[in-house]
Amino acid sequence: MPGPVDIASSKKRKSSKNAGAASKRRAVAEDDFADTLSTIQQLEAQIAESRKHYNNIATLISMLNAGGSENPELAAAVSLCRVFSRLMAAGSFKDSSRATENEKIVTAWLKERCQEYQQALVSIVREADTASQVAALTLAMRMLKERITHIPGAEDNVWSTLFRDILEAVIEAQDGSELHAEFVNKFLKEYEDVRFHTFTQIAEYAGAQRDSDILDVIISILSECDEVPAAGHVFESFFAEAETKNKKIKSVTGHKRRAQDAWLAVLRNEISQGQRKSLLRMMVRSIEPWFINPEFLLDFLTDSYNDGGATSLLALSGLFYLIQEKNLDYPQFYTKLYSLLDSDLLHSKHRSRFFRLLNTFLASTHLPAALIASFIKRLSRLALNAPPSAIVVIVPFMYNIFKSHPTCTFMMHREIRDSKKAAKIEAEGMTDPFDPNEADPMRTRAIESCVWEIESLQSHYHPNVAAIARIISEQFTKQAYNIEDFLDHTYQGMIQGELGTGERPLKKIPVVEYQIPKRIFTDRLLEEDGGVDSGPGAFVRSLWGFS
Amino acid sequence: MPPSQLKQLKASLRDSGVIRPQQSKKQKRENAKSGAAAQNRNQRNAALQAIRDRFNPFEIKVAPSRSKFDVTTRDRNSSAAGKSRPGVTKSLGEERRRATLLNEMHNRNKVGGLVDRRFGENDPTMTPEERAAERFARESQKKMRKESMFNLEEDDDEFQLTHMGQSLSLDQANIDDFEAEDMDGAESDDGMTRKRKRFDENDNDMEDFIDFEDGEEGENKPERKKSKAEVMKEVIAKSKFYKHERQKAKEDDDDLREELDQGLPDLFEALRGIKAPAKPEPPKQDLDTMNPERAAMLQGPDKADTEREYDQRLKQLTFDKRSKPTDRTKTAEEKAEEEAERLKKLEENRLKRMRGEQLSDEEEDNNDNDSFLQDDEESDVDDAAAFGLPAFEPRTDLGVEDEDDFIIDDDLVERRSNVSLSLDGSDMEDEELSEEDEQEDEQEDELINGMSLPTASAATAASTAVEVNPTAGGKLAFTYPCPKTHGEFLAIIKEVPEQDIPTVVQRIRALHHPRLHADNKAKLGQFAEILVEHVSYMANNSEQPSFAIMENILRHIHSMAKTHPINVATAFRARLREISNDRPLDLLPGDLAILTGVSTIFPASDHFHAVVTPAHLCLARFLGQCSSDTLSDFATGAYASTLCLQYQTVSKRYMPEFINYSLNALCNLVPSEPTQKLGFFPFRKSQESVRLAPSKKVAPRKLQFRDVSLLPSDSQAAENLKASLVLSFVSLLDHACQLWSDKSAFPEIFSPVEAVLKYVQQSCKAKIYAALQDPLQSTLDKVSSQLAQARKSRRPLLLHYHRPLAIKSAIPKFEENFNPDKHYDPDRERAEANRLKKEYKRERKGAMRELRKDASFVAREKLREKKERDAEYEKKYNRLVAEIQSEEGRAANEYEREKRARQGKR
Repeated sequence: MPGPVDIASSKKRKSSKNAGAASKRRAVAEDDFADTLSTIQQLEAQIAESRKHYNNIATLISMLNAGGSENPELAAAVSLCRVFSRLMAAGSFKDSSRATENEKIVTAWLKERCQEYQQALVSIVREADTASQVAALTLAMRMLKERITHIPGAEDNVWSTLFRDILEAVIEAQDGSELHAEFVNKFLKEYEDVRFHTFTQIAEYAGAQRDSDILDVIISILSECDEVPAAGHVFESFFAEAETKNKKIKSVTGHKRRAQDAWLAVLRNEISQGQRKSLLRMMVRSIEPWFINPEFLLDFLTDSYNDGGATSLLALSGLFYLIQEKNLDYPQFYTKLYSLLDSDLLHSKHRSRFFRLLNTFLASTHLPAALIASFIKRLSRLALNAPPSAIVVIVPFMYNIFKSHPTCTFMMHREIRDSKKAAKIEAEGMTDPFDPNEADPMRTRAIESCVWEIESLQSHYHPNVAAIARIISEQFTKQAYNIEDFLDHTYQGMIQGELGTGERPLKKIPVVEYQIPKRIFTDRLLEEDGGVDSGPGAFVRSLWGFS
Repeated sequence: MPPSQLKQLKASLRDSGVIRPQQSKKQKRENAKSGAAAQNRNQRNAALQAIRDRFNPFEIKVAPSRSKFDVTTRDRNSSAAGKSRPGVTKSLGEERRRATLLNEMHNRNKVGGLVDRRFGENDPTMTPEERAAERFARESQKKMRKESMFNLEEDDDEFQLTHMGQSLSLDQANIDDFEAEDMDGAESDDGMTRKRKRFDENDNDMEDFIDFEDGEEGENKPERKKSKAEVMKEVIAKSKFYKHERQKAKEDDDDLREELDQGLPDLFEALRGIKAPAKPEPPKQDLDTMNPERAAMLQGPDKADTEREYDQRLKQLTFDKRSKPTDRTKTAEEKAEEEAERLKKLEENRLKRMRGEQLSDEEEDNNDNDSFLQDDEESDVDDAAAFGLPAFEPRTDLGVEDEDDFIIDDDLVERRSNVSLSLDGSDMEDEELSEEDEQEDEQEDELINGMSLPTASAATAASTAVEVNPTAGGKLAFTYPCPKTHGEFLAIIKEVPEQDIPTVVQRIRALHHPRLHADNKAKLGQFAEILVEHVSYMANNSEQPSFAIMENILRHIHSMAKTHPINVATAFRARLREISNDRPLDLLPGDLAILTGVSTIFPASDHFHAVVTPAHLCLARFLGQCSSDTLSDFATGAYASTLCLQYQTVSKRYMPEFINYSLNALCNLVPSEPTQKLGFFPFRKSQESVRLAPSKKVAPRKLQFRDVSLLPSDSQAAENLKASLVLSFVSLLDHACQLWSDKSAFPEIFSPVEAVLKYVQQSCKAKIYAALQDPLQSTLDKVSSQLAQARKSRRPLLLHYHRPLAIKSAIPKFEENFNPDKHYDPDRERAEANRLKKEYKRERKGAMRELRKDASFVAREKLREKKERDAEYEKKYNRLVAEIQSEEGRAANEYEREKRARQGKR
């Protein structure tokens, strides 16, 4: 067949020319493009006319592959897709025992071409530029659908081969963010069978060790599937309708099991610290609901919890979910929780998240008072080094705890009735019985201590913080403070609160220092004061030279 | 037992004087004559009516003698059922309707008609004589009320009745008023007089209408004898005339004398023999030749003016304050005492503000701190907002009364004789002087360095300034425009050498003194803002900013802040906002200069202050979050920490960020990294190593402000800088230890400090750090001793010693002497609205009732009319029928008769 070869060569020529002097020959190139289009259309029409022209399929495939997978001829791909769809609908792919030898050969040849075409599409998805990737993905999915609907019995095979290839290509595609979005939005979220098989294939795919970029992609794809079907959910939106015998695809448990497998496969991989954190962050919302046996998560969560630092804080919520929902018994939970209260906690950005959980954990009135006291004392110690936004949380939080655990209020008001002891304290002062290095919150003796720290914070430099710290020495008339209101303050927010965004007139005239200092930076007129610098700002001048 | 009805009736008739002994005929006649009879008749009728009413039991609606149930409605006692007389009210209403509605009904669809408005025409009680008398009285009253003073026609004060324009008064017209002509026109005359009566009221021009021969009649009249009044009038007029003449003569004399007086100098000169230069001839006032009246008119206004002036002076004198003994001039001791008193008061106010208390003059404001205790019930209120987070309400304030018109402190201005400046300073003098205006002006002249306020002219101001400022030389201009933007200011000082900027600022301030022009106050406010900007600009933009000049400008700002606190505060807040938005963690030298300025200009000890609180937050945020990687970062941090402590010098408030940062910095600067945790402060390692190198000998020095921006030139300098940073942080901690020694959590705060210091000491044991050892040791000793002291003085907390709160009372509030008719609604507006609503309802009901009654009245009237018409018709019909019947009967009779007759004939 001379025609296709010609075309192919001309195409090559064209591409080489294009590479050479594109600008000069744009008109020619456009002509070429039109030529190619018409050729493709002609070829496609011929195939539709009669079987004699089936060879055109091969021509088209070669045209498709001519530019390599980086630069595919998408028109050819589209027309091929049409051709194959038509052929499948016409039943040309069906093997029938009564078919002649010739027909069988034709069918086999067609199948081979189809395979070839699919390979080409998959490689396009893998390697081409974004637009082609998306187009090829659509075409490939179309092929998948056609094959399932028109070739009976092909379903399992198609999902496990073609779809696997597609999925892998999607995952491994270069610069695939748009492709991923396309895949997720057009297929994964739309069709429940696609989701089902995605889970299956990912479980298989992630079974092997993968590098962290690919894991990132997998995690992002999986995390998009956060609509867990409720029990009794009827699965209706299928991508490829088939009179399938597969019952798993229509059962909630089947879906969940696949999802669980997929997630477990991911978790078993070697995941980086950042991935671990992001996984922990989405744990409660999009991972745990999929699990039929959440116990499987236990290892991961406890590992993370024991990791320390921010990871522990993040693992806490997942763990809490397990404790709450699955009756998990975590030994030494409060000891561990207590150990999380370290110097970095109040400066961490997960502070508000942690306090929400802590609020839940310490809400029970049945907790031992000694334990609660330890938490109070530790928090007040931390408050001494905390930013104002953290102090603002701690104090109302402590107020609430005091309110629900009245035994602990001795920490605010301790009268010594024993006269001997009182005399001793009068003489030597009270040593703080609290042991900050004790890890067990039951043994810190915090309940015998006092919250001097908060009392000191009543003279905090920020007036609002000081006012809040003052609530522990007022009468406890309020039922409880709503912690949520105090959680998300920041320096920026506080400064904005003071200064506002634009200039508004001041409500009151600001006071001005009544005495103008003699000197601010220099030693001006020092001899008048007898050489002793004692005015305002003397401290700065004593430490710093201004010259 | 009461007497019988008949007896009662008789008694009451007698009492009211209806029945009385018979009057004699003569009496009767007299009564009739004087009109007493009519009056008596009226009285009798009224009395009879009253008696009738009293004795008619059906006219009075009696309230049920006792109520069936005990009720406590508010209406019970107020109901006037006992006195209501439904019959009377009904008949009254009926009568009123008959008078108004019925008339309207009758007049409906009718146009025109006559309305008789004559007085008393419809009053049957008046006799015709009375009516006429009353009308006459009214007419004369109307005449007496003069409508317009320009009504020339009416100048005849006396009112007299006329007939055809002729006076009717009998005493002056002794002619017979009967004229034959009147007789024949009697018919038409009647109409004419009536017409005239009407027109008379308005204009007498109507006289033209009436032909009337007054003129010839007047000529015909003989000379009549003058009445007494006329004689008197003539006498008065004459005497007035003579008086006027005398006055005129006197005035003429005066004028003449004055003229002579004016000519006296000329005369003298002529006597001395020197010819005076010819004066311009004053406008000639030849009063003599002039008509005397006209002259008087010319002179008149002048005289009026002087008189008015005199009056004014007199009034002013009466309103003038009596002179009082002035306050004794104060002695020096008294002045000092007063000043001390004032300072003490200011200091007290400062302490109050520091404690977050309200100053006495704003105590009525509710304190925010209490508010959260009150909103127990309101669960939906944001708890955090109750503490002013993040939308913040300034809760304490401000309000130290400022020194009034405090302008430029002499302290600010470099006098030529600085040495002579006494210690007790400027403020006092100014304060004193602001009371006495003149002295103050003098003082001010002095203050602004002899640059006299340009009251005279700019030139003189310039000349004095030249004398005073020889140093500034001729290069500086003496007048500068007041800049409106920082750009303009930069343009102004572009040509000026840096050391002369204070002079320029001073001149701008002097030239735009608020006393000189009303706009100057605003201009200077703007200028203060520009200066604030300039301070930051200076520190940022020059390599070696002159701190003396910055200091001078800051002090200028301070002094202007006293007059323009809002402007200065706003400018500082704008700077702070810029810092927090653009570079919260990367403070520039300019920002540090601004923050330093804040600490001197505003009272940093205030519990809340519109400028200081955000400045605090800016510093704390920087210390809490900044990344410290380079030595200059640490230098910036050290300066910020110093400022923190500077801010807290008076109020001694705790700043966690300061401790965190200092300890962190020390841990980062010491030669080796600490191996274990030294406390609860979060340790952040710096990206680059800034540790002291173990090899070189260091010589710590005093830190310089430029370390903040400049990197050390060589490694030795870097090491020295590190060592000095270590030393600075140590001394900062030393100071902090002193500041916060009375905090109850002192051991908790400072035990990490102790640990870190120990670690530093141990880490810097090497010989090369010998220079660090001494201060370290002394600080460590101090901290340790303070810690021991604090531990010893520690007592268990006793925060809840307050009296337990009273349980909320649920007893309702009782009102003494409760009156159900009174409204006790505390909400005035609601009460008012309720009242209006009630009134509206009542009015509406009343109106509806009236309308209903009207309608029924109209229906009744219509029915009555219809009945009348019907009855008339019936009557007419009957009459006609009867007529016809009688006619027919007659005819029948006739016929019968005829018939009978015929039969009879037959």
